[in-house]
Amino acid sequence: MSIVKVEGLYKTFADYRALDGIGFEFDHGILSILGPSGCGKTTLLRCIAGLEVPDDGAVWIDGKVQTDIKKGILVPPYSREIGFVFQNYALWPHMTVYNNVAFGLKLRKVRDADVRRRVLAALDLVGLPKLEDRYPSQLSGGQQQRVALARSLAMEPRLILLDEPLSNLDAKLREEMRVELKKLIKKVGISAIYVTHDQEEAFVISDYVIVMERGKILQYATPDEIYNWPAHQFVASFIGRSVLVEGQVVQAAGDEIKVSVPEFNRAVLACRRPNGLAAGAACQLVIRTGEVKLSSRPFEQSENVLQGVMTSRDYRGGLTDHRVQIGSREIVVTSHKLCPMISVEGEGDKVFLYVDKDAISVIANSAVSAQGADH
Amino acid sequence: MRTPPFPLKERTISWNSLRLAYRQGVLIPLFSSVVAGSLIVTPVVIVIVRSFTTARLGSSVGFSFDNYLRVLHDPKILPMLQNSVVYAGGSALFGTLVGAILAWIVARTNTPGKALVELMPLYPILMPPVMKNIAWVLLLSPKSGILNNMLQQAFGIDHPVFNAFSMPAMIWVFGLTCVTLGYLFLLPVFLSFDPSLEESAYIAGSKPMRTLLRITFPLAIPAFLSALVLNFLRGLRSFETPVLQGSPGGIDVFVSKVYDSMSVDYNPGLATAYSAVLIALSITALLLYVRTTRFSERYATITGKGYRVKVVDIGRWKYAAFLAVFVYFLIGIAIPFVVLIVTSLIPYYDYDTFMQFPSNIDLGSYHRVMRHPSFVSGLYNSLALSLIIALVTVFSGIVMAFTIYRTKVYGSKVFEFIGTIPLAFPPLVLSLGLIIAVIGSPLYNTLWALGAGLFIAYFPYALRNASGAIVNIHRELDEAAWVHGAKWRHVFFKVTLPLLKPSIAGALFYIFIEAIRNIDVAVLLVAPGMEYGPVTLFEYFRVGQWAEAAAGGVIYLLILIATVSIAKFVFKIKFSL
Repeated sequence: MSIVKVEGLYKTFADYRALDGIGFEFDHGILSILGPSGCGKTTLLRCIAGLEVPDDGAVWIDGKVQTDIKKGILVPPYSREIGFVFQNYALWPHMTVYNNVAFGLKLRKVRDADVRRRVLAALDLVGLPKLEDRYPSQLSGGQQQRVALARSLAMEPRLILLDEPLSNLDAKLREEMRVELKKLIKKVGISAIYVTHDQEEAFVISDYVIVMERGKILQYATPDEIYNWPAHQFVASFIGRSVLVEGQVVQAAGDEIKVSVPEFNRAVLACRRPNGLAAGAACQLVIRTGEVKLSSRPFEQSENVLQGVMTSRDYRGGLTDHRVQIGSREIVVTSHKLCPMISVEGEGDKVFLYVDKDAISVIANSAVSAQGADH
Repeated sequence: MRTPPFPLKERTISWNSLRLAYRQGVLIPLFSSVVAGSLIVTPVVIVIVRSFTTARLGSSVGFSFDNYLRVLHDPKILPMLQNSVVYAGGSALFGTLVGAILAWIVARTNTPGKALVELMPLYPILMPPVMKNIAWVLLLSPKSGILNNMLQQAFGIDHPVFNAFSMPAMIWVFGLTCVTLGYLFLLPVFLSFDPSLEESAYIAGSKPMRTLLRITFPLAIPAFLSALVLNFLRGLRSFETPVLQGSPGGIDVFVSKVYDSMSVDYNPGLATAYSAVLIALSITALLLYVRTTRFSERYATITGKGYRVKVVDIGRWKYAAFLAVFVYFLIGIAIPFVVLIVTSLIPYYDYDTFMQFPSNIDLGSYHRVMRHPSFVSGLYNSLALSLIIALVTVFSGIVMAFTIYRTKVYGSKVFEFIGTIPLAFPPLVLSLGLIIAVIGSPLYNTLWALGAGLFIAYFPYALRNASGAIVNIHRELDEAAWVHGAKWRHVFFKVTLPLLKPSIAGALFYIFIEAIRNIDVAVLLVAPGMEYGPVTLFEYFRVGQWAEAAAGGVIYLLILIATVSIAKFVFKIKFSL
């Protein structure tokens, strides 16, 4: 049975459509909802929690209907038995840490001894023992974040919703916390829906990722699939360091196609063939620049090698960003190996790039193909 | 893909949406708000209907515009309009500005003697307006005024310098009353100020003075404007100063005219028609006020993140700040209080007798006042009623603000309007509406009618106060309680209410102090046997029993000071926080 099921959710604020027909089903584990700000991801989360009433649609949690606008069903948030971690933590400033965490338990008339045991266990779990008598204003941002988490975990929900919980922490703490958060959720064994605009965070933390834009789901898959096989050009450009170029299929045979790229001086690249793409069709190529090999000497392979001019290098410690001009397009190639630069800086060096098939995703684009017929 | 089921911006009310509203747990606060709302609307409707009738109280009614025609043909209507605006605007600006400065000094500076400084701006609140009028008339009266006589004797000036019965004197006295509201509105803003807003300005290279002018004060502007417009409205509606200082000097404003048509002509129709002009004026200001509060929603400064208030080091200026607070304390209460005490302790008032003090101490006034049944019962009634009214009003205000800003019920914004209606109506006229409503019913001639009048008159302050505070509490704090198993009553009692505690204490205090010295609501609703203390004092002053008025006023002041000090030191209620 799926932990969360959503069907046909619509929500409009004044003149802005936050949810435009959202539907998905999620079995178990950690699901990230990823998208730029204003894409409706927070609204979706709030509709699942019952904090927002959608204009239409239905929500099930753990097989039980929570919202069904057509039937007039709306289980209030306090009866949904979920956890929710807010972006700004939302700790009650007039209560101690202990009382913040104990709040929901006391409302459920849990016996005092049990409340105490569960509160302390939750605080221990998030790594905050002995701070229960403090007030939220006496804690650091990271500690406040943990209290907010403990407050939800103490309720022992089957599902916890997290709304950009790490966005107010500094970078280092954020990286630590996301690993810890994942471990914690896995350890407790509950499911989580995690809203974020940071793709790295989404990939590290989750089993599944939903990419949203303008109130619609663009792709729902595992992080690996989304990275390697983006189903939509927005997904591709939003995920990781990649370059998006227009192309035209010049040859299609078996599971391979050859694509000519006008921006790269009409260089031809061999790629895996998506379903139903025939010669002459226009398409878009997503090239993951992290997987491009760069060299000052020609490669052994003759296929999928591009020539370019390196205009500058930025050493980032471990990794180096190389700026390479290919035809009319400049791309940034990041690699562990430093590519030698011989001539005077600024004038540029001739370099070779090898783009493996696996580093390219092809997106069929019917809108582009109509124009592409002219070529 | 199918087309979206709802076009943009269309909402429907159906059984479904009512069921949804019920599931959201909003029906109880909604119901309470409807009850409070209808109590407010009743006298308002009566007043409006009444202004179109010719009949006198108790007799039959007929529709006519006669009252309005009579008002419009009054040649003094334009000077009256000008007087009203100058008087109300001048006092509001003067008072709110002083209040804002005091609030900033108390909340944010390192003034010496902090405990004292926190208290000093509060004591002048205790002075009932009528006592301020009496004291300043004693000080500034052209012939017998203490200051004028002193100046005459010291410098040989043969004409009076001050005139208690002039526009500047009216603005001065009522402006001092306006300080309270400015102070109470701005203090929470300065206290709940997120210090990082100022700190980021320092980081951006802004010096403290510049930060103050560019960051701190602008962020306080919405609260300042709210206080300013409210003070302006209070000026338009104010009763004591126009009647006691304006009328003797021939400066007529609408309120005094309304009172005259009631007390001299006993013509409610004419009174309500006069106030119709006043109402139009007030509504203009009210619309302005609604705009300023909408504006302040963008200025939410309290978030779920913990914050600490920071005190600013203003260097040597801290002594000047202390002095400023002290001077306000002297002018606001100490000097008038001394004048009243001395006046209450001499056999009768004139300048020479006054100056002979203390050789002619005489407790006669106190004996007379305390043996006067209408003063004693009025004192008791005002104490009991004010306490009850403060509690009821503040609590209803919070429930209604919660309904408006937190429950998102369809149409809940209507309450924002209803709750503000009494501001557009002079309390005098509201109490007239109440009299008509209860006449012939068992409620006539009881404290219930007076209580209802006070509730209606002070409700807008309670609602505004609660709204301002609720808007400043980040919505996530409520929602966090909601998802963690709290029903609306738990959210309300365990999260909203405790977070509102600072403002609740302030509002309770304010409404109690306002109600216990109220004259303009009570003056028409009192009856023999159903006295109200401040009205009795007002009558003493009107018939020229200045020493008795002073004695009664001193008794009131002592009771008020004792109450507040007990609350402050015994119950540890922090009015300023």
